[in-house]
Amino acid sequence: MLPSVTDMSKPTDLVQGTLDLLILKLLAIQPLHGWAISRRLKAVSGDVLQVSEGSLYPALHKLEQEGWIKAEWKTTENNRRAKFYELTRPGRRQLETQAASWDLLSSAISAVIRLSEA
Amino acid sequence: MRITHWWYTLPLRLRSLLRRGQMQRELDDEMQFHLDSLIEDGTARGLTSTEARQEALRTMGGLTQRKEEARDMWGLTWLTDLGSDLQFAFRSLTRAKGLAFFVVVALALGIGMTAASFSMLDALVFRPYPVANPNQIVTLVSTSQDNAFEGFSYREYLDLRNASKSYDGMIASGPVIGVGFSPDARTTPRVKAGTLISGNYFKVLGVEPRLGRGFRTDEDQVPGRDAVVVLAHAFWKQELGGDPAIVGRNVRLNGRDFTVVGIAPASFPGLFIFSRTDFFVPLAMGRLFTADPKQDVLEARDARGLTVRARLKPGVTLAQARTEVASIASGFRSAYPALYRERGASVHTQMQMRTQAGDINWKFGLIFTVLGFCTLLVACTNVAGLLLSRARARTREIAVRLALGAGRQRLVRFLLAESLILAGLGGLAGITVGYFAIQALQRFSIPTDLPMTVPFRMDVRVLFACIGLAVVSAVLCGLAPALQSTRTDVAAGLRSADVDPPGRRGMWGRNALVVAQVAMSLMLLTASFLMARSFQASVEQSTGFRTDHMLMTRLDPRLLQYDVARTQQFYELLSQRLRETPGVVSTALTQNPPLGLDSFDRLAFVPEGYDLPRGRESVKSFMDTVDDGYFATLGIAVTRGRAFTAADNATAPRVAIVNEQFAKHYWPNGDAVGRVLREGDRGGEPIQIVGVARTVKYADTVELATDFVYLPHAQRPSARMVLLTRSNGDPLQLIEPVKAAIRSLDPNLPIIEMRTYEDLYRYSAVEGPRLAIRMVGTMGFVAVFLAIAGLYGLVAYNVTRRTREIGIRMAIGASHADIMRLVLGKGLTLVAVGTVIGLGLGFAVEKVFNSMLFHTVGVDVVSYLIVVPTMLAVTLLAAYLPARRALRIAPTQALRCE
Repeated sequence: MLPSVTDMSKPTDLVQGTLDLLILKLLAIQPLHGWAISRRLKAVSGDVLQVSEGSLYPALHKLEQEGWIKAEWKTTENNRRAKFYELTRPGRRQLETQAASWDLLSSAISAVIRLSEA
Repeated sequence: MRITHWWYTLPLRLRSLLRRGQMQRELDDEMQFHLDSLIEDGTARGLTSTEARQEALRTMGGLTQRKEEARDMWGLTWLTDLGSDLQFAFRSLTRAKGLAFFVVVALALGIGMTAASFSMLDALVFRPYPVANPNQIVTLVSTSQDNAFEGFSYREYLDLRNASKSYDGMIASGPVIGVGFSPDARTTPRVKAGTLISGNYFKVLGVEPRLGRGFRTDEDQVPGRDAVVVLAHAFWKQELGGDPAIVGRNVRLNGRDFTVVGIAPASFPGLFIFSRTDFFVPLAMGRLFTADPKQDVLEARDARGLTVRARLKPGVTLAQARTEVASIASGFRSAYPALYRERGASVHTQMQMRTQAGDINWKFGLIFTVLGFCTLLVACTNVAGLLLSRARARTREIAVRLALGAGRQRLVRFLLAESLILAGLGGLAGITVGYFAIQALQRFSIPTDLPMTVPFRMDVRVLFACIGLAVVSAVLCGLAPALQSTRTDVAAGLRSADVDPPGRRGMWGRNALVVAQVAMSLMLLTASFLMARSFQASVEQSTGFRTDHMLMTRLDPRLLQYDVARTQQFYELLSQRLRETPGVVSTALTQNPPLGLDSFDRLAFVPEGYDLPRGRESVKSFMDTVDDGYFATLGIAVTRGRAFTAADNATAPRVAIVNEQFAKHYWPNGDAVGRVLREGDRGGEPIQIVGVARTVKYADTVELATDFVYLPHAQRPSARMVLLTRSNGDPLQLIEPVKAAIRSLDPNLPIIEMRTYEDLYRYSAVEGPRLAIRMVGTMGFVAVFLAIAGLYGLVAYNVTRRTREIGIRMAIGASHADIMRLVLGKGLTLVAVGTVIGLGLGFAVEKVFNSMLFHTVGVDVVSYLIVVPTMLAVTLLAAYLPARRALRIAPTQALRCE
């Protein structure tokens, strides 16, 4: 079966910048290559967060240019060369900042939603 | 956060800039890996490899597009955009070749002229000494009321060196002097240029000899003991064929054997701006080379012929050094009250030394550079005007781009890219123009046999100045049009091909450009006229002497160790013999003829019956030592009293002749003849004034009338003299007779130089000023040409733009006069405003010229009477010619246009 159209869509339903936060969080746990990040995202979030395969790379390159993650070519367990990304020190700080502001944002949004329901 | 870790991201940015290719490949590999993994995933789920591949590609969602997005993240879009901007701008310029050509020529002329003038200023002011850490080198000067930049004597130098603590070494060096050089004792010596230097000279300056060594400190301790010499690189190459074996061998200087101990490096031709030296000898050998037989250069405290320089210790300020040297000078005053009554000392940087108020060369350099820059500004305004009308004509194109969503910023950048290309080409062409202009300057020959060089050349600083100028012109030319055209109202722009922005604001910039062009070109033209007329006037004033039919021969019997008596006898016999030679009308001896290249000595004296200014012990005047034939040969009129005669000899009472300026200065109401001067101070030897001569120009043609004293050669001997021989035919015919006369007296005596006096005079009074007038004149004419082009363009553009309007007006009965008024009115107003501003600038320039160069006051009405009407006529013509086209417009055709 062909995958559904939604599989291919851009993460328009992701709040802007959220993809960055997710990538940073995943890399905080361990260095990963692009393919692994995309699998991990799918696995962890179920089908709720859908990131298209291709749009992951612009995001990764942006984070690299900002100096939050750095890349290194290494061999995978299948003996293939892949570009592994890992979090840098400024990246870790950035993750903390972003996570904190995400918490703030999401709790604020929840509060508003509860208010309108009441 | 971003700011604090820029140092972290910068290498990444640089990498993505410099290793773009590699990053591209890595990106490809990375995406390929992802794709492969997807395909494997697919086949694992049981798809065929083709199906898996197709699915994977779909999932990735446009591989190329994704790569493009990733590349955008490298943060360098602006740079790659700039590349495409430049490419596009270049293509659009090749479609406007005529415009591009005109612009490049205009900018090239502007940049080239500025570069050529700046090369003069650079050589005279900015070029650092060719030594290690040149900024640490300062110059110490002896100051008095007559001269704030005097040198020091050898004794003073030793005292200064021992007493001061501010420096890492202090050196002394003499001027370039003519030295009789021969490789061995058998060869007749030829005159070469030598410089006396202190033993620590090379060490303190940080100059490493090319071969051998510099002087040892002990080689400068005992007068006359160490006959050692260091050769300059160029001299070693040219005269000795670059033979390395010369080190350790002997050469003869002024009749004495000197051991060559080293060769200076090619990078160090000495510290002079205009001359090179051929060799360096220790100051302790000074007695062999000195000019004044009466003064012992190593002992006399007031033989101030040395330039003292020192390397300032790190951390010591100039102010501290000045305080120190002033206190040493006050020590001199208390130790030798008679010699130092009005004397102090100071310290100056290289820049301060080179920009002395009394030096005229750097002022010319500065004025030329400023005027050259003005020409460049005219060129830039012109180019800006052209680009502005080009941008206006492209209103529609720009409106379309804006409507399609081009960012205004990007558009400004695109338009700036155009001017950047133009300025880049203009800069390159300007460097070429500048190079050839400097070559032309270098061809300017200085009439002397000593190695004088014209130091102007295209060096790094001049090159940087060119590039800077090109960038400045790019911004000046491009910014106004770029900003204005992006203000375009999109809707209006799309409707019509050429629409003025709403209101009159749009034209304002263009009008200002034309006004600026007219004003500045008027100023430049005025400047060239003023300069030409001032030079002419100063040359006319200087023709108080004859310049024709005279052969100059420079001699210095000291080169053969003549003593004073023998020198005097030599000159006496030579004059006598020549006066008997057929073809010789008369002869004269002088230390330096008027407008000669040497500087005059100064005589300190007390005029009897004249109240000296408070605190002064004596006054000074320039002086020359001349013989009894001088005034008659040069035709300088003695207006009162008498000229020198053969009777004014060494045993007769001392006499002097002063010039009219001198007489007027000290005895404004009485006769100077019969008055007495006391040499040195109140108790000095009396010298009676026996005549008053006409005031002429002495050092340069633009000098003020200056005091001058002549003393008879018999009473004040000097070894280095210029012999002037007046002929009744071609003065060059006298070369052989003069040589024969000299050889008959001493076959070994070197003749330093032989040329006609006319040559020298032409150099000082004709060629130099002509060069200056030509430079400024060229600038003026380039500016006027550009202003004409600008005005022509403006009016022509107006006529084209309003063709339809003119057609309608004519159709409903407007007369030719009405139409002319319509199209010319604006142009004429602009010319009028520009002329008024230009006049103001002209007056300002005249003031600067007068105070800096020509020492005159007042306004040269004639210049303005020539320049302003010429400028008006030319600009009116430039406006009228295109305006005439409006009259030829056929109404029916005009109405159909568009």
